[in-house]
Amino acid sequence: MSDRHAGLYLHVPFCARVCPYCDFAVRTGNAAKRRAYVESLLAEIDLFGEYPCTFDTVYFGGGTPSCLEPSDLKRIVERVRERFAMVDEPWIFLEANPEDVTPERAGAWKRIGVRTVSLGIQSFDLDELAFLGRQHTVEQARDSIRIVQDTGFHTVSIDLIYGLPGQSTDAWRRRLDSAIETAPDHLACYQLTIHDGTRFALLEKRGELIQLPEAGQASAFRATHEHLNAAGYTGYEVSAFAGAEEYRSRHNQKYWNHTPYLGLGPSAHSFDGRKRWWNLRKTDPWQQAIERGAPPIDNEETLSSRDLLLETLMTGLRTYRGVDCAAAKQRFDTDLLATNKELVERLRANGLIKLHRDRVIPTIDGLAVADSLAGMFRF
Amino acid sequence: MSNIRNFCIIAHIDHGKSTLADRLIQHCGGVEDRKFRDQILDSMDIERERGITIKSNTITLEYTAKDGKTYKLNLIDTPGHVDFSHEVRRSLMSCEGALLLVDASQGVEAQTVANLYLALEYDLDLVPVINKIDLPAADIDRVKDEIESDLGLDPDDVVCCSAKQAQGIEEILEAIVQKLPAPEQDADASPRALVFDAQYDAYRGVVLYCRVKEGSLRAGQTIRFMNSGKEYTLEEVGTLHLAREPQKELGSGEVGYLLAGIKTVRDVAIGDTLTDAANPASEPLPGYKEAKPVVFSSIYPMTSDEYPELVKALDKLVLNDAALTFDKDSSAALGYGFRCGFLGLLHLEVVQERLQREYGLSLLLSAPSVRYHVTLENGSEISVDNPSYYPDPSTIAGAEEPCIRGSVMIPERYIGTVMELCRERRGENIQFNYLAQGRVELTAELPLAEVLFDFYDRLKSSTQGYGSFDYEVLDYRPTDLVKIDILVNGEPVDALAQLAHRDRARMRALHYCDRLSENIPKHQFKIAIQGAIGGKIIARSNIAALRKDVTAKCYGGDITRKRKLLEKQKEGKKRMKTVGMVDIPQKAFVAVLKTDTDS
Repeated sequence: MSDRHAGLYLHVPFCARVCPYCDFAVRTGNAAKRRAYVESLLAEIDLFGEYPCTFDTVYFGGGTPSCLEPSDLKRIVERVRERFAMVDEPWIFLEANPEDVTPERAGAWKRIGVRTVSLGIQSFDLDELAFLGRQHTVEQARDSIRIVQDTGFHTVSIDLIYGLPGQSTDAWRRRLDSAIETAPDHLACYQLTIHDGTRFALLEKRGELIQLPEAGQASAFRATHEHLNAAGYTGYEVSAFAGAEEYRSRHNQKYWNHTPYLGLGPSAHSFDGRKRWWNLRKTDPWQQAIERGAPPIDNEETLSSRDLLLETLMTGLRTYRGVDCAAAKQRFDTDLLATNKELVERLRANGLIKLHRDRVIPTIDGLAVADSLAGMFRF
Repeated sequence: MSNIRNFCIIAHIDHGKSTLADRLIQHCGGVEDRKFRDQILDSMDIERERGITIKSNTITLEYTAKDGKTYKLNLIDTPGHVDFSHEVRRSLMSCEGALLLVDASQGVEAQTVANLYLALEYDLDLVPVINKIDLPAADIDRVKDEIESDLGLDPDDVVCCSAKQAQGIEEILEAIVQKLPAPEQDADASPRALVFDAQYDAYRGVVLYCRVKEGSLRAGQTIRFMNSGKEYTLEEVGTLHLAREPQKELGSGEVGYLLAGIKTVRDVAIGDTLTDAANPASEPLPGYKEAKPVVFSSIYPMTSDEYPELVKALDKLVLNDAALTFDKDSSAALGYGFRCGFLGLLHLEVVQERLQREYGLSLLLSAPSVRYHVTLENGSEISVDNPSYYPDPSTIAGAEEPCIRGSVMIPERYIGTVMELCRERRGENIQFNYLAQGRVELTAELPLAEVLFDFYDRLKSSTQGYGSFDYEVLDYRPTDLVKIDILVNGEPVDALAQLAHRDRARMRALHYCDRLSENIPKHQFKIAIQGAIGGKIIARSNIAALRKDVTAKCYGGDITRKRKLLEKQKEGKKRMKTVGMVDIPQKAFVAVLKTDTDS
């Protein structure tokens, strides 16, 4: 159990169209399906027993939460505030697609208490938007940013995708410049990953999509961090950049430092400090379970201390704060620095990490290979 | 008792020895037709599959000849490959005569000649037999010429047959009876019997195969091995048909088996002489040569938890393979294993295959080595067959390596390519000898070490399969020996160290570096792979650092998935060997050690 405030995640699985790179639990659905989903989500909120923590963030993710009616979003917010222990003014996040953004809707979101709007801009280039299967134009993208900025949300964040096939590092820097011009408070820049089961994976298998070579990916990754850092956006995680400390994602950081979180809606994951469980991935079985009055949970795992330590390393090495080895020693009784002396020295000599007191902090080049860094530590 | 004939069949590999043995057995009714399977004397899977005989087998045939008398023909099957010439020797020592089998289309080959010399060394009478006369390419006249000019045997004595078609079998049996001598017998002398083979039987312990020269052996008798001095009580004696048939006694001149409660073949010196402990003969039988390993390699299990199984498997294997030697060995990179000695490369392959197939082990074998004689500055001399024990070069005064006389039989048109191959392999004193019909016997003195590395494959491919090869170990000669170390990020990988002639070192080292760099995955840092002699780098290749390996998104659900992925990687790493902080997967060792091509 933690005395830190927990985060609440609500998964909205609907999209107007499924993007060819996306492997999240998403589906298309008409208004009737969406209404039925909202009822099920409300029922799941009621069904859920006691959660031991107070929440200070509520995150609508998906999918495309902006495709829900503001009135439905409001009902959901009211229900969770009634049902769960929550700080007075929880920080509400909403993911939105540019084509869903209108001044009226934005105003309604603000009234519900949304403080961060995260826009799925993805690119400022029409051809790239078409390749990514997005529904909006560059104009719409710019308009949506302006609208949410004018509405006066605390944080306006935009999502971008880079490392597209054939995209040069220079072309990507130009996209970043376009993004910086719109003056968002926060950026999430995701390097394109081809996931199994997506349309892109199929195209790649057929040889119709060729990923950037490793050197190109590495160069684009480095350029992202250098370019945005120079423009005043601090990269505080592999893909996340904030114009000021206050714009960092209060919610996402909980995932990276073992703060408890509760996830509701299909496929949502929850964590209470020791146990992690996750809901049924597909909407229909999730809905049917709730109708039966059963927890819509697919499975769970209890994390051993070793598991927690590995996760601490894995997530810590993805952030600019790195891994606090003194804290880890206290929590897990394992001295990572002592048992990995030679490795730490080698990684430092190769410019992948820095040492600051007892913290192992990844450099930009270290962040670029963070997935395999954690696996090298012995404990 | 002149109705006994002890004989064997000697031939070049693939000339049809086992098939002929099958036909002789069938003809004499040694086995019912319905129980018959091909190569009946070859009982190991590998023997059947490769069509080679590794262990010699023995069978007694009863044949009623044209003269109306019934003869006991003891057929002692012999292996055809040069690696197993010690087994051939034992077999020959138990016989008075041999069938010298020659393929009607291939003619006399290198091993035919080598086997002929062996047979003459033991004073055997020979019946030349031309086999496979049913083949379209059969050329009986040419082969008769070869038998006369290459082997010096009388072409009029030749018996022609087709073992496959069962033609000429009767004629061969008649020739055995008429042309091969009966054993000299002395029933009253103190018994002397030659042990020519031993096999392990899971129920009865070691089964000794022996030839009684003088006297007789019977159950209950206490026997003594004259060389080792060990004594046992005979539990059973008998003759060998397809199954063992117990007899009251084995008399002078006879061939048969003995059971004496012996636990492993290690306790038996094959070639030793048995006598009666109560009434011992004064001298053992002469002429036995011990089989000495000439090729050495370390065997490691793929995963260390397979080590106990490897121990068990080797212990069982040597019950039946007295020529295989092994001692504990260990490598920092590959863990515990065994340094094994083999009679040759084929023997090594056979042992490796048997361990893998019969015992289900996955193995890594280090590069084969010969045994070098190293003289130190202080005047002492040591033998080194394992690079790990190579002394500090500054203490070495000189080194010698075993040399062989290789003999290659080829059609004349390949002289150029084969001479080139021999020169490339540091061959000296290359000579050739024109045989009949445009064929040449080329002999060269070569370092044995050079033959270990794909020599036979190269010979076969450069002569379109026509070249046949045989060798005998000559002597030790001075060599410019160096130890090649393979370094990964500056740290030597002990299992990849090897000894080689200085002129060949760079090529070997390059081969190793390239294979390793192809098979070690990228790491977070640059990896240098180097080949070195002492402190001097002679070959190098690099593996660039991994530059991009990070998932873009990592939220609630991805954390479990990513952790599981990491755990899997960590698990996989346990099976890798870590040298200089570099994780080397097994497949890299396999790739390096498996293909020993120099090119």
